[in-house]
Amino acid sequence: MALDREWTPASGTLRDRRVQVIAVGGGKGGIGKTLLSANLAAAIARLGHRVVAIDTDLEGANLHTALGMKVPSVSLADYVAGRERDLRRLLLDTPVPGLRLIAATHGNLDAAQPQEWSRVELQHQIHDLPADFALVDLGAGTHASVMDYFLAGDVGVLVLTPEPTSVENAYAFLRAAFYRRLRLAVDTDAAREVVNQAMDLKNERGIRTPLDLLRAVQSLSTEEGERFVSAMRLFRPQLVVNGAKTADDIRLGFTVRSVCRKYFGVQADYLGYVNWDDAVTEAVRHRTTVVESHPRSDAAIYVNRIARKLIGLTSRPTHTRPPSNFLERPT
Amino acid sequence: MKSYREMDHYELLEISRDAADEEIDRAHALLREAYEPGSLAAYSVFDEPEAAALRAQIDEAYAVLSDAERRRAYDASLKGSMLYDDHDAPSAPEFEGGAGRSTAFNGFEDIDDGDADAPWDGARLRRSRLARGVDLEAIASVTKVNPSYLRFLEEDRFEALPAPVYVRGFVNAYARYLGLEARRIAASYIERFERHYEQQHKPRSRLLDRP
Repeated sequence: MALDREWTPASGTLRDRRVQVIAVGGGKGGIGKTLLSANLAAAIARLGHRVVAIDTDLEGANLHTALGMKVPSVSLADYVAGRERDLRRLLLDTPVPGLRLIAATHGNLDAAQPQEWSRVELQHQIHDLPADFALVDLGAGTHASVMDYFLAGDVGVLVLTPEPTSVENAYAFLRAAFYRRLRLAVDTDAAREVVNQAMDLKNERGIRTPLDLLRAVQSLSTEEGERFVSAMRLFRPQLVVNGAKTADDIRLGFTVRSVCRKYFGVQADYLGYVNWDDAVTEAVRHRTTVVESHPRSDAAIYVNRIARKLIGLTSRPTHTRPPSNFLERPT
Repeated sequence: MKSYREMDHYELLEISRDAADEEIDRAHALLREAYEPGSLAAYSVFDEPEAAALRAQIDEAYAVLSDAERRRAYDASLKGSMLYDDHDAPSAPEFEGGAGRSTAFNGFEDIDDGDADAPWDGARLRRSRLARGVDLEAIASVTKVNPSYLRFLEEDRFEALPAPVYVRGFVNAYARYLGLEARRIAASYIERFERHYEQQHKPRSRLLDRP
């Protein structure tokens, strides 16, 4: 993992970034990530900010549909395939004032995810886009490229629905993101090797929980233990419960938050919830966002609340974002 | 960062050291729910013996903190041990907006901010209830209002509700249960309801008066 080390020089300098990047992930497909991304992007734009929504799901691209657009002529696939080097030339206007889109299209599956070097460059370009916010809609699964989009965000939103499959996948996602983050945080090959082993749940060292892993890393060296702990503290996933029907469903955000704390040792925040709403179905059918078509619906009100909280979060000096060196250009 | 086995009672209940009694009650109820057998949030990471151990610890923490006498003694013992506990101390302020100063439903009360003067209709009542994670049944059992009426309130099904004097009482009890400004909210709800009610109960003679 030579690349990892080149990405994380001991002293990274804070870049002057204009764009606040909000990554929306959740592990499982079909939990409403894309609809939520589209609606949050539209909601933030309607609050007067310049927003770019980015569809990174090259295998299941449909953010453009959620925003009421036809199959796009240019997309992130052009960047990944090397046909376009400048992300800004992929920006498309959407029907929502202030909101632009970098779409994805179903491309050649082999080239569906950028290579590691181009992912770093891509993150830089995202942070340099002419916008106040970038909403990054992540694909399903826990592929390394998905994790990097999540970790490079200033805020990582973790979407779950009140179903066992979704909650399990949310934890799998959290685990993968978290371990990847820790692997980047530690400095020595020995510590990195321990983290690598821990990623395999059936590892021989008996490391089952992140806390076990911390103990194992601490036993290697105190400094590595401290790096590990500070990386953990910076990792603050923002939970969103989507498709809530009952008060039970809404409380799930709080109970999952507790499990994050007690099992993963991670301080998650419960950012908000969106109810199961016929208005959303209606909006999807008309290929528009619910915040635009039904602004007085509960779903729109909940999305707007999350949008306002996200704007507030990103204006704070500290947030989930890993140290700037995560984004340092490889030399 | 600590294992839950090493957490003090406050950390375990995810509350601040100055938490009020009702916060403690709420936190305990929520955590009981989080780690109950078969809990959606916990089943895939904690096996049942572990969850049972957690529940026992949570109950013990609650038994101490919900008893004023025991809580005082416990707080005093915490102060005594603070000195050597210093290493983990920075973890406290880190939980800004979370366990640090949070109540169980921190951050969800201000759903209608920016539009505080909007009329209180059923949808707004429902959003306020859900923001507190409260079931209709819980309100019904405390307020003794039939849960069907509470549902009609939320759905603005005026035709299914009784006379304004009763409805005002329902909204009052509902809002009070949620800790909201009951009188103002009841007045706002009733204003809309009465308009509907009067239309339905217009003297028939007026219809006949029409040319």
